[in-house]
Amino acid sequence: MTPTMIPTLANTDIASYLLILILIGGAISFAVINLGASYLLGPRRQGQTKGITYESGMNPVGTARKRFNVRFYLIAMVFLVFDIEIIFLYPWAVTFSNVDHTMTDALTWLGRILFFILTTIVAYVYGMRKGVFKFD
Amino acid sequence: MGGPGAKMADGVGGRGGRADAGRHGAERRATQARTGYHADLMPRPEWFNAQFIVSVITILIVVHVLLVMAGISIYLERKISAWMQDRVGPNRTGFDLGLPLLKKLTRGFGFWGLGQSLADGIKMMLKEDWTPPKADKVLFMLAPAIIVIPALIGFAIVPWGGEFRFGGFTIPLLNWDIPLETVQVIGANINIGLVYLLAVASLGIYGVVLGSWASNNKYSFLGGLRASSQMLSYEIPMGLSILSVLLVTGTLLPTAVLDYQLEHGWLIFAQPLVGVIFFICILAECNRAPFDNAECESELVGGYHTEYSSMRFGLFFLAEYTHMATNSAIFAVLFLGGWTLLPWVDIPLLRAEDVGLLAVLAKFAVLFGKVVLLICFMMVIRWSLPRLRFDQVMQMGWQAMIPLSLVLVLVNTVLVYYNFFAMSPTLVMLVSNVAVVALILAVIPFLPRATSNRKIRLSGSRFSALEA
Repeated sequence: MTPTMIPTLANTDIASYLLILILIGGAISFAVINLGASYLLGPRRQGQTKGITYESGMNPVGTARKRFNVRFYLIAMVFLVFDIEIIFLYPWAVTFSNVDHTMTDALTWLGRILFFILTTIVAYVYGMRKGVFKFD
Repeated sequence: MGGPGAKMADGVGGRGGRADAGRHGAERRATQARTGYHADLMPRPEWFNAQFIVSVITILIVVHVLLVMAGISIYLERKISAWMQDRVGPNRTGFDLGLPLLKKLTRGFGFWGLGQSLADGIKMMLKEDWTPPKADKVLFMLAPAIIVIPALIGFAIVPWGGEFRFGGFTIPLLNWDIPLETVQVIGANINIGLVYLLAVASLGIYGVVLGSWASNNKYSFLGGLRASSQMLSYEIPMGLSILSVLLVTGTLLPTAVLDYQLEHGWLIFAQPLVGVIFFICILAECNRAPFDNAECESELVGGYHTEYSSMRFGLFFLAEYTHMATNSAIFAVLFLGGWTLLPWVDIPLLRAEDVGLLAVLAKFAVLFGKVVLLICFMMVIRWSLPRLRFDQVMQMGWQAMIPLSLVLVLVNTVLVYYNFFAMSPTLVMLVSNVAVVALILAVIPFLPRATSNRKIRLSGSRFSALEA
């Protein structure tokens, strides 16, 4: 009996990503077919007031292309900081169980990653003091 | 045909290889004589192995199951909401589509309104595909496609049925030998595993943002802003809670996380707090109540899909329900032991060493049952809890979930470092989770009160609609 192939990060098999490509192709064709079918099957009518933007039946006021609150932009910026930190932590998390506290350099390994997490906490505290997380 | 006797005793350098080639030649000639086809024209590519075939079959089955499940979820949601509100819900629609002939044929199947989802789907297909004249035409058309594609490819890394012994046959006409192997019943056995999930989950935000902006409607725009910032915010605690799981299990592969749970019991018992955080993040990622600010009917009509009609609207809907199913499956795999029925108990047909077709089907049924139960649980939550206000949602995300999940990561780091898991991992982790909860309860009275509800004067404030 052949042993099960357990892929690890070391032996990347590019062929296994072929299935992802097939899946993406399938999903794209599903979306295109659905949109195309409803385009072909549906009726088509025009009306005088049909094209007016929906605002609960009122006459629309102005346009929706307006400036919006800067908070949403701040959230996006802080999100970038955190998300990138998390992605950097993933490879560490997978391999960290190999470190034992009895090893010689173990404390250094722990200290380094704690410092890395500390930078995240500094960013978080900075954002908090700046009022990024206040939403009222 | 690489049978058990095919392995050559590789005693003398290159002779083994030549003898091997000779054996293959003889075999090829025999198959040519049998089928009259030249196998040399098109040898079997390396990637076309048993794993590939099983993965393709898995993808084909699961995609259809998920799409049908989306229809059934819509029906389930209406029925569950009806039960919870003491109504009847859909109970008339059958499968006759209004045609007398079909009415005669499907007599007896029209009970409980089972045909409701099918009727809804056909209705959506037959409605007008309307693009508002003021909308951005291209982005308006692209947005539903962009939101449905990530929803449909996210399930690829879910291990649906454990291992499967497959192969040992020849594909006719092409003469490709498929060697017998034990393979994973999984959409794509890729080795970045859970990172793929995070990457794909983030892509859905593009559809929301594009659709909301392209509609050129204020309701859509506000809904899109809310949805995107909420999905961004809750992705961080989601990533951090997966990080806790990775620290404990030491692997990125969902199959290996399952192996860990087979050995040590389900992770929901070991890490209840992480599980709860992850589940809340799932609710927020899917824009489900109590986090459905993106489309809260009382304020924003339909949110980012206000201006959409026909199948474009249908694709938004489909994406939401498919997303729910995929994320439930991930939750079941990471925390509820995947295809195991009971923790710590071996049930025949549901053990890791069962690799037959029947075992795979049984495991698939168990995991899918968990997914359905989780979806029903989400629906019960939707009709039980009031909707959070948007600032409350964001505050909970940034000031509660993220610090809490960071603390849990740190606690797990220390536990892994001092090798506390050598004793009894489940017990140690459970104690640590309880300790964190106790710590939070102790600290809460000393924290500054975040906000209090206060009145905002409309005129002159930045919420004033007149002066903006």
